[in-house]
Amino acid sequence: MIPNLIGITLLTFILFHVMVKDPATRFAGKYATAERVETIRAELGLDRPLHEQYLFFLKQIVTLDFGRSWATKQKITTMIDDGFSATLSLTIPPFIASIIFSVGLAMFAAYHRGGFVDKAVVVTCLAMMSISSLVYILFLQNVLAFQWGLFPVSGWDPSWTGRWEYLLLPWIILFVLLLGSDILVYRSVILDEAYQDYVRTARAKGLSNRAVYTKHILKNAMIPVITMIVIGMPFLITGSFLIESFFGIPGLGGMMLKALNESDFPVIKAMTVIISIAYMFFNLLADIVYSLVDPRIRLR
Amino acid sequence: MLGCAPASTVNMVKASNHMKLQMPFDLFVMLYLLALMGDRFDNYRADHYTTKSLKPASVTVKGMRMMCSKVHRFFQLTTFIKGLALCVAVSLVTFGLTGCTKKVDDTDTTINIPLRANVKGLDPINANDLYSSMVIQNIYEGLLDYHYLKRPYELKPLLAEEMPTVSPDGLTYTFKIRKGVRFHDNPAFPDGKGREITAEDFIYSWKRLADPRNASEGYWIFEDKIKGLTEWVNAIKNKTGDFDAPIEGLQAPDKHTLVIKLTQPYYQLQYVLAMPFAVVVPKEAVEKYGAEFLNNPVGTGPFMLEKPSDWIRNSKITLKRNPNWRGETYPTEGEPGDKEAGLLEDAGKPLQIADQLVFIELTEDQPRWQNFMKGNLEWVEIPNDNFDSAVKNDKIVPELAAKGIKLQISSAIEVVYTAFNMNDPILGKNKDLRRAFALASNIPVRIQRFYNGRALQAQGPIPPGLDGYDPDFKNPWGQFDREKAKEYLAKAGFPEGKGLPEFTYETLADSKSRQITEFEVQNWAAMGIKMKISTNTWPQFQEKIKNGQAQIFGLAWGADYPDAQNFLQLFYSKNVSPGPNDSGYKNPEYDKLYEASLKLPPGKERTELYKKMRDILIEDMPWIFGLHRLNYRLTHGWLRNFKYNEMTYGIYKYVRVDPKKRAELKPKL
Repeated sequence: MIPNLIGITLLTFILFHVMVKDPATRFAGKYATAERVETIRAELGLDRPLHEQYLFFLKQIVTLDFGRSWATKQKITTMIDDGFSATLSLTIPPFIASIIFSVGLAMFAAYHRGGFVDKAVVVTCLAMMSISSLVYILFLQNVLAFQWGLFPVSGWDPSWTGRWEYLLLPWIILFVLLLGSDILVYRSVILDEAYQDYVRTARAKGLSNRAVYTKHILKNAMIPVITMIVIGMPFLITGSFLIESFFGIPGLGGMMLKALNESDFPVIKAMTVIISIAYMFFNLLADIVYSLVDPRIRLR
Repeated sequence: MLGCAPASTVNMVKASNHMKLQMPFDLFVMLYLLALMGDRFDNYRADHYTTKSLKPASVTVKGMRMMCSKVHRFFQLTTFIKGLALCVAVSLVTFGLTGCTKKVDDTDTTINIPLRANVKGLDPINANDLYSSMVIQNIYEGLLDYHYLKRPYELKPLLAEEMPTVSPDGLTYTFKIRKGVRFHDNPAFPDGKGREITAEDFIYSWKRLADPRNASEGYWIFEDKIKGLTEWVNAIKNKTGDFDAPIEGLQAPDKHTLVIKLTQPYYQLQYVLAMPFAVVVPKEAVEKYGAEFLNNPVGTGPFMLEKPSDWIRNSKITLKRNPNWRGETYPTEGEPGDKEAGLLEDAGKPLQIADQLVFIELTEDQPRWQNFMKGNLEWVEIPNDNFDSAVKNDKIVPELAAKGIKLQISSAIEVVYTAFNMNDPILGKNKDLRRAFALASNIPVRIQRFYNGRALQAQGPIPPGLDGYDPDFKNPWGQFDREKAKEYLAKAGFPEGKGLPEFTYETLADSKSRQITEFEVQNWAAMGIKMKISTNTWPQFQEKIKNGQAQIFGLAWGADYPDAQNFLQLFYSKNVSPGPNDSGYKNPEYDKLYEASLKLPPGKERTELYKKMRDILIEDMPWIFGLHRLNYRLTHGWLRNFKYNEMTYGIYKYVRVDPKKRAELKPKL
């Protein structure tokens, strides 16, 4: 894991310094003078040799103190803490709900493959996938929140008791967004399993179809499903930028995008490191879960 | 349940009279069906456990089987109850939590203000962006401020007792500081009580602005203008001096007198003293909070951030009324039309400060508009998409007027322009080519199509409302005329565009910028000018411009203060990159006139110079002067005394909400 991390940090560092030639000019403002740009360059630590800057970066990761944002001068660790709380409460519940629901519905569709239900599910999911997320957001916000007044239009309350009111409609939208593609993929995964020999054997032995599906097919289909879930994990952290900006939820998605737009290197560094660590952690978790689910796989 | 549990049953009955019940009912049905599905699985299987199920049966046969099983299931009591219970529970929870309408408090004087971007920090020396300034100027105050109602914009004393005395040579300004002005109460002070301000506090605040270690973008307001300041800054940079060393040009002979000595005449000094960069901050708070001062503002203004948690980052800032504010009276003068608009109702009366100011940050147009239409915001800028539904023929539509909503129009002091890179070998040297470009630009159509007609065409670099602006002046090469453009193109040596290389137009990547760029490029293509569009992120865009790599690009410049100098300085040769002269225009004749104008106080002589400079710029055309935007805002009927001010944002001490009117009008929206 450590070599991975070093590789990623090196890559981010090099890319940033190659792509953005002179961030100091950006932060010197519209009335910059050559002198002021120099001063700012020194303040931001950009005049030190590259390898020194890189080592400083590594030290920051180890101490988890990423300094302050160039653009806002706020402490990055605080920014991330605040954003994490909002983003995770926005993305985790629909993520979990959509996994459960889409696996269930995918199994249902696979069970009735070729039939009316199956076809209906496939068509509906394709339709749902083809509609852009922006359309869902604009439409549902306008109809459910604005016109029918069922949910607040936007807003946020950081307290744990107050935030649910503002999260309900975003949850619904995220859930619907995740559903379409998930169901189709899981359905095809389960169908692959359904045609295996062991399924026929199990039926021949006298197992009910339900048992075949839940005991045998589900377990085998779990491996690709878990892979899909793990691949979707970074989404939990970067959040859904559009939903956050339309509903005024102060999360991490917006933070990363703003940092990229403003060449705010400390924030970009911090976010890249965090997302990489999270991703690696979830990969590890997935490996452990594989070994639990599939006895053929053993952890070394 | 959020304070509406007792009312929820009443509301449910009420709601049944509205379409609103439709949604929970549909939800109920949907959830019920879903609940059923869980058991259908098992049931359907039980009905035909044969290998035939592996082959796709005909749809109708299967369908019939499903129907039978469904009906069978429907009457199964346990499933029915399970599903029903589930659906009702979820529907009630959803509906109960969100569907009931909260009663509007008729004693609440809170003012809710929209912000289109996130506030970065509340430290005045970093008030580079508009949105942070909008909050900062209600917490902090400076020596001078703009008159709220008068137009053209005029300065008036704020923390100064009166306008300064200026020495005959224009180099010494003497300010008398108002007595009895206190900082907000804050733990930074010895007994938690805010102390009275002194002239030293201004010197401290401005030193802080100039301190190179703070890397403030706002230092330009004093840079090289105050005696001894540059030396002080250099001493700090070279570590040969310290912060407390005195500066000759900033003296406080006594607690309530401040003397500023300049190195050269600087007639814009009074304007910059009204900017957020120059407000007064207490040393105690800066020393106590250090790098966290940007989250713990302590000023002298009518509003304060009571505790850091009142600021929910990237979401909402709640400022509370400062109970120790000295008080002020509402202005008695305005411009023609203010009286009729009801803006002088409170003339001469002591200001009634709202209990709370809530700034709500929403970057997207739709939720901002929707929040306004629900009464959660007191005013809003009309987004392009909603313009036609709100305004017809420059008047508000009757449906909205019936709800008490009013329209307000203000003109931004700015110029939206397209710049040429004057160092480009072809564009920079060929005046006629630039004129051809300008004549081929169709600005009136651009205004109609992309700005809903809400802009005035610019005839030069000076916007309306400033000295040097001439409403009768027309730019001879600014009116759309394709034939004339073709003439000039031929004059330039490229008849029908032959021999011209392909140009690159740098623009930002957002959809509106792209659309406008494409429109312009089409107009030029119709003349045979080949152009490529290159889209950029904002930092990339700035970098290209600062490095002189952008050939043609579009930007806007908004006034920092209402003096044409702020626009004319964009063409001064000493201001080229990294300064604000982005086109790289250099003209010694222009420079001479500019330097001479700096030495003159506002008046006829200076205005003549401004006009001469304008003429040179029209002649040389480093920019295609585009337009000046008009801002259309809607306000609710319960908002009083609101008049948008383009120069100062510390206006919420004048504004108030009529809470009874709000309680009456808001539920009817």
